[in-house]
Order: sequence, then structure tokens, then C-alpha cells
Amino acid sequence: MEDAGRQPLAFAAFGLPVILWLALFFVIPLGIIGLYSFGENVSITEIKTTWTLDNYARITDPVILELFWRSIWLACVATVICLVVGLPMALVIATASADAKPWLLLAIMLPFWTNLLIRTYALLNILGTRGRLNDGLGWLHAKGRALLELLGLDGFGLLAEKFTPLTMLGTPAGVVYGIVYVSLPFAILPIYSSLERMDRSLLEASIDLGAGQWGTLRRVLIPLALPGIITAAIITFVPALGQFLTPDLLGRGQVDMIANVIERQFKSANDWPFGSALSLVLLYLTFILLALRAFGDAARSRRTLRT
Amino acid sequence: MNRFHRPSLSRRRFLAGSAAVGISLKLPKAAFAEGGKVNFYNWDTYIGETTIEEFEDSSGIEVQYDLFADNAELFAKMRGGNPGYDLIVPTNNYVEQMIEADMLLPLDHSKIPNMKNIDPAFLDTAFDPGRKFSLPYMWGTIGIGYRISAVENPPTSWKELLESDTYAGRIALMSEPTTVLQMAMKAQGHSLNDWSDENIAAAEAMLIAQKPRITSFAPDNGQDLLLAGEVDVAMEWNGDILQIMEEDDDIGYALPDEGGLLWEDTLCIPTGAKNIENAHVLINYLLDAEVGAKIAEYVYYATPNAAAKALMESDYTDNPAIFPSDEAMQKSESATFPGQERMRKIDEAWTRVKAAG
Amino acid sequence: MATDKAGPFDYSRKWSLRLVFVLGAIFLYLPIIVLIVFSFNDSRRGGNVIWKGFTTKYYEKAFGNEELMLAFGNSLTIAVTSTVASVLLGTLAAVFLWRFRFPFKPAFEGLIALPIVIPEICMGVSLAMFFSQMGWMDTSNRIWPFNLGNIIIAHITFSFPFAAMVIRTRLASFNPEMAEAARDLGANEWQAFRDILVPHMRPGLIAAALLSFTLSLDDFVVTFFTSGPSTVTFPVKIYSMVRFSVTPEINAASTVLILMTLVLTYLALRYQRLAS
Repeated sequence: MEDAGRQPLAFAAFGLPVILWLALFFVIPLGIIGLYSFGENVSITEIKTTWTLDNYARITDPVILELFWRSIWLACVATVICLVVGLPMALVIATASADAKPWLLLAIMLPFWTNLLIRTYALLNILGTRGRLNDGLGWLHAKGRALLELLGLDGFGLLAEKFTPLTMLGTPAGVVYGIVYVSLPFAILPIYSSLERMDRSLLEASIDLGAGQWGTLRRVLIPLALPGIITAAIITFVPALGQFLTPDLLGRGQVDMIANVIERQFKSANDWPFGSALSLVLLYLTFILLALRAFGDAARSRRTLRT
Repeated sequence: MNRFHRPSLSRRRFLAGSAAVGISLKLPKAAFAEGGKVNFYNWDTYIGETTIEEFEDSSGIEVQYDLFADNAELFAKMRGGNPGYDLIVPTNNYVEQMIEADMLLPLDHSKIPNMKNIDPAFLDTAFDPGRKFSLPYMWGTIGIGYRISAVENPPTSWKELLESDTYAGRIALMSEPTTVLQMAMKAQGHSLNDWSDENIAAAEAMLIAQKPRITSFAPDNGQDLLLAGEVDVAMEWNGDILQIMEEDDDIGYALPDEGGLLWEDTLCIPTGAKNIENAHVLINYLLDAEVGAKIAEYVYYATPNAAAKALMESDYTDNPAIFPSDEAMQKSESATFPGQERMRKIDEAWTRVKAAG
Repeated sequence: MATDKAGPFDYSRKWSLRLVFVLGAIFLYLPIIVLIVFSFNDSRRGGNVIWKGFTTKYYEKAFGNEELMLAFGNSLTIAVTSTVASVLLGTLAAVFLWRFRFPFKPAFEGLIALPIVIPEICMGVSLAMFFSQMGWMDTSNRIWPFNLGNIIIAHITFSFPFAAMVIRTRLASFNPEMAEAARDLGANEWQAFRDILVPHMRPGLIAAALLSFTLSLDDFVVTFFTSGPSTVTFPVKIYSMVRFSVTPEINAASTVLILMTLVLTYLALRYQRLAS
């Protein structure tokens, strides 16, 4: 890393387009939202920036705070699942043969080129009490019972008599399923990207030194993939906070998340100032998260410099 | 309430007849603006199968037909400025809102002679006195869709969905804050436009208490749940229930004794429209008797066009799910715009309902 | 040394990992299979709910639906343009952050990440307001593809931070000594960038491109607020059609979109293979 001053031309070449784009198409629109958050509705369509803190004050309502908390929790759970499932999948792709690789990547991305709404409706078909998932589980259950009967073990209460279908829809479990479903490729891609062409000699050295598979995994592979894992966590967690369709459809409107409230403010409640304030609070929260990561990065680079 | 179900398709018969009518439906070109275009923003499957083509043929005006799915979205989108639509189809309570926000242009009735086809009952309304800004397109009710074999008697009260545990775990409500709270208020004997603090609180309490028994606050798919057998009763638009009645004979629709919601979709020209002349031509065309009849036959909602209704067959005009009896309609009300301040209270109550439990 | 037995790090050949991959793939594809199966459902309103018989008429309907085809075309155009621009902008941003130190850098890093965080409806509304103020809202007199300009700008704005993050992650594993070596050997800035940095970034670029394409193709909320007549995209069209039910026509249209994208990607890969 070098100081900007040393190569001003390169600095400008790389930086200027980005800064200009952000300034024009993001900062200014965001500024409008910021102004709204300190404003109030003076008529149905006009918002006047009166520098009121009323909108932010409304966020301290326990119901809103609970929704924030619930959203963070569900997003966390979904992120962890995505990472746990995503790491092995990314590993498989990264170490696959050069011929198979593009096809595997494509295979992962393909479901996501289907419209989200339709996919979610299809999930309804699968997760319902009479959906395909329960059909499959019911079948497994029936086979299990049959097997137990065959072995004469059916009286021991190993497997319940009657199959109770899993209720996924209308529960947080269903919503998490939906969020994981929507976020998985976002988790896989960054991890894949950092594992690709990893230095195998490091892994081999670790095995030679007696670390074993799990030890290698823990102490060499994961640290190697760490930047990718962290990026994956961020780009999974953050959009998960903004999900409103999944809670509406898969949660059957029973598992509201903060994004549902925000969406309502811009639509049926027609309360853009409050919606803006809520959105900005989400932004601040994530800002803090990213700042933590930046500190973590800085700490890590200081550590490596010292060695 | 009687069982309502849609009889066998007479569509083919009607379309055959109307094709003949359509060919003869050549409007004199000289009477209309030659050429040009018009941008029509409508709900999905809310027009006859060939209406747009026939309009283009007979008037020489090109139609850009786009779809939207939600009044609130329409309002939010148009608030920032009209991106180029000439004719939109908002529902009555949103018309009120848009009039207050100066988002609609006054209609020139002299350019719409087919106004005479409209049932006089629709010509003067509370939300748009004198129909200065809107003209009626379709109307209907919100009531209870139900599975005939799963209920002992067809539902007669909102309380069966909102208070009793008869159908616990088999109930679908809607996801629109105002509508659901309004039905709760109706169940408690209030007008659905009486948004006093007490009424809102009482409605909120009723819903929170009932929440464990509710399967879904369905965003537009209540009728799917009913069809799939996931719920036995659903608060739904009558048109949605009519659609699934076509698929399944075991579905019925009822307006409860306390009354349901009366809604009306209207044709309006938003401010900032570029092709105002052509928009008027299109409105006039849509209000024509034969055109209206074809639309009603395909869309199967109630038409406010008396002349069109006169052309329809009895299985449409006598269908109580489309045209409820006067007795059933008596207690039903149209929604008015509650005003910005009340909207906030409504939203807060709804947030609490959704977050509970 | 080619062996038949999987080496300790041939993860893609370990059965345990393969199992995870396959289960993951099943998880991802189940709804897609349901979607495809029900696109042959002979039911006008039943959609994904009741199977009423096999028919291909909804495919004919989808192909015959001009507006749907137009929406496809718009979506693909927007997605491709947005992807190219996002990867470019994302690369610039990633290298910029990775390579240089400058005052207020953490603030800038946060700023670039914000488009990822902001709720979509907020971004859609704010961009609509912005375009409205700039007088760019009325796109009806622009010719294609410029009438898609507002939407493309919006898509680039929310995609390039994702691209930047992914590419930057890849850069983290870059060995700076290589760049120094190149410079010692006489390469200038541009050459060092092109011949050393870009090849290393390649997996990141590919991942970023896939991500941006996906984000753009399926975006609804932001597109809804920044689109106007005749700039309808596929997701916006679908959302408006689903008001009554998911009809088999919609499923058919989605399946066709997947197929078309698959074919295009295959062709792109073949072209790349031929070119290299």
C-alpha cells in the first residue's frame, strides 16, 4: 500500500470515476433521504425539512426496537447457515478441474436468474404442510417405520407413529430458509474468489507437519479464505436485513422484519420521513459493522508487518 | 347467504357473438385525434382480450400498455413525478388522495359522450363529487371466500374470521393495513371510516387476540391458499374468489351481515400526461356499451356501465358474488381517505399487530 | 503426477464434500424444478397449487406475448450493460482502496459499502426523486437503449459496491513483490496493471460479473421506481402479473428466460475458449 501522493496520476485515474459516480448517483439521492428523515409531511406529497427529531424518536418505540432485534437475529442465523454451507461448496468449485469450473459456477448462479417472486412462490409449494418437502419427509418416515417393523423394533418409540409435517411457513424457520435460499450464491462467490488458485503448498506443508485434515482446515485453509468469508458474511447479512418479500410470503405476514415496516412507510402509510429515518438507522448500524471490520483489517495487517 | 358459484363457461358463446359485433365496431376516424399514442397504466388482466387491439385499429392511436399491481406503489411512484403515463386506474380511496395531492387532471366531459352509459348511481360520489377527475371502470366488494364443504354454514359475520375459534388455523386475512383494520371495525359494529382512537385500539386488540388462529396475512395470495386447502376461509376481493371458483366448484363467496368493503376502480388522467386528447378518446372507448360488455365478460368483475350490463347474460348479471343483493350491499361501505394524520395511527396500530406474538 | 486416487487436497473429489455440494444443489434447484414442472400445468389460475394436466400452450402464450418479450429484451440489455460497467467501476474502486493510503480512507470505505446496505425501496425512491429533480424522469422521447438509461444508472449504483468488495477480497491475496518485480523490469503503471494485476484478479472479476448480472436481472424495487412506460423489465412485469395468481404463463416465461441466459452464457464461454 502506498500513499496517494506518491502516484497522484494513478490515484486520480482509479479514484475519480468512482468518487464522481458515488457523489452524483448515490450521495445526492441519499442526501435527499437524509433531509426527509429530519422533515415532516406538510401535505400528502410535500415534505418540509424542519430539522425535527420526531422521526428518530419514534424509532425508540419498543415495538420497532423489537423488530430491529428480530431482524438482526434472523439475518445472523441465515448468514451463519450460508457460511457453513457455502464454504464447502466454494471449496469444491475452487478445486474442481478447469473444465468443470465454469459449469459449476453457472450451476450455482442459474437459479438466481429466475425471478425472485416466482422462486418464492415455488418455495411456498415446497414448504407447505402439504408441500414437497413434507411429502419427502413423510415418505422417509414411512420407509423408516417399515424398516423398523421389519426389524421388529417398532415398539420402542424410536420413530413416532404418525408423521407430523414440519410447519415451516409462517414461522421464523421458514423465513430463515427463504433468506438462506436467496443469499447462498452471494456467500459462495466471494469465498470461491479467494480460494481460487490458493497456494496448495501451504496446505501440504501443514499436513506434512502433522496437522491432519481438521487441523489444516482450521489453521491454514480458513485463515487463507478469511477475507472471502468475511466479505461473504457482510454481503449476506446486510441484504438479509433488507428482506421484506420473504417475511411477507414465507412468513405469511406473521414474521415481520424491519424492512416490512420501512416498505410500508414508503407505500401505504405514505410517511416518507419516518421511512427515511428507519433506513438511515439501518445504514448507521451497518456502518458500525463495517468500521469494526476495517479495524480488524488494520489490526491484522499490523500483526503481519510485525512478523 | 346463499351459495354462490360460477356456472359453466358461456365465454365462448359470447366471444363468438362479440367478434361479429367487434368487426362492425368501426368508429368514424374523423371524430378522433388521428394517430399519436397513449400510455395506459392498468392492473393485470383487467381488460378484454382484444380491447386494446380493437381500440388501436379503430382510432389509429397506438397504445403502450403497462401494468402495475398496487395502489400504494402507484401513488409512491407518481409522487415523484409522472414518468409519462396518460391514463391510470386507481381505486376510489386513492383517487381521493391523489385529488388532494393535485396529481390528477380534470376530465373534459364534453370529450366523453359515452358517460351517458354509466349507471347514474356512480355519477356523483363522495370521493370525487361530480366525477371531475375520475370515471368508474369496475367495482366490487371485499368479503369472505370459503370452502363450502369445510364450513357448516356459509360465514355470516366477520367475527368468524376475527374473533371466533371455529376456523382456528384455517384463516387467511389480507396484508393491507387499512382494509384489515376496517373489517375489524365492521365486526365491532362501527363504520369502516370511523377512525377514532378508540376504534383503532379496539380493532388492534381484536386482531392481536386472534393472531394465533390466523394462518396468513396473505399478500395477494389468499385465494391460492383457499384453493390449495391450506385455509378454509379467507378475507378476499370478490374477483379473486370468482377466479378460483372457476377452478374449483367447492368455493363460495359471502358478504357478511355487518357488510363488506365496496371498492371502485376508476379511469383517471394524471398531471404531467402528454397525450391528454388521446387519453380522453381511450376513456370514451372504454365506456362504450359493447366494449364494456366484452371487458366485463373477460374480467368478470361488476361493471358500473349500465349500457354494458344490459348486454350481458343472466349468469353474469344475476351472480350474487358479482352483483350482491341490495340487502347484502346495504351495510357495505366505500372507503374514504383517512387523512395523513390518521394514516400514521393506522400504520402504528398495524405494526403492533404484525409484530405481536 | 496424475493419480487416480484423490489427493488430500482434491476437495472436489472427496465424497463428503461432494455430498454437501449435491445437497446444496438440490436445495437450490427444488423450487426451480417445481417452477418448470408447473409451467406445463393446464390451469388458468391454479398456478403452482393444483395440477390439472399437461399442456405446452403457456409456452406459446409466453412467446406470443409481445410485452413479455420486450421486457426480456430490456432486462437482458440492462443486465449486460450494468454488469460491464459495474465490474469496471468495481475494479477501479477495489484497486483504489487496496493500493492507496489517503486521508479519510475509512469513511470512504464505508461510503462505498452503503449502497449494499440501503433498503431497496429507499434507494428506489431517492433515485426517483433525484431523476425527477434533474428532469430525467420522462424517458418517453428517448430512443432505445437510452430510455433505459435511468434504470441502468440505478443498477450500476447498487451493483458496483458488491463487485468492488468481491474483487478487493481477491486482491488481498496478491503478492506485491510481483508488481515491484515488474516495475524493476521496466514495466510502466498500465502494463503492470494489465499484465500482472488483472490476471490475478480474474476469479474475482468473474465472481463480480456473475454477482452484478444476477443483481440486475432480478431487481424489482429499484427498477419499479426508476422505470416508465415502455421501459418495463421482466421482474417488474412479473410482479404486476402476479396480482391474481402465478399463472403457468409466468412460469413458462421464467423458464424461457433461464434457457436464454444459459444459451447466451454458453456461447460466451465458447467464444472465450476459441479466442484464447
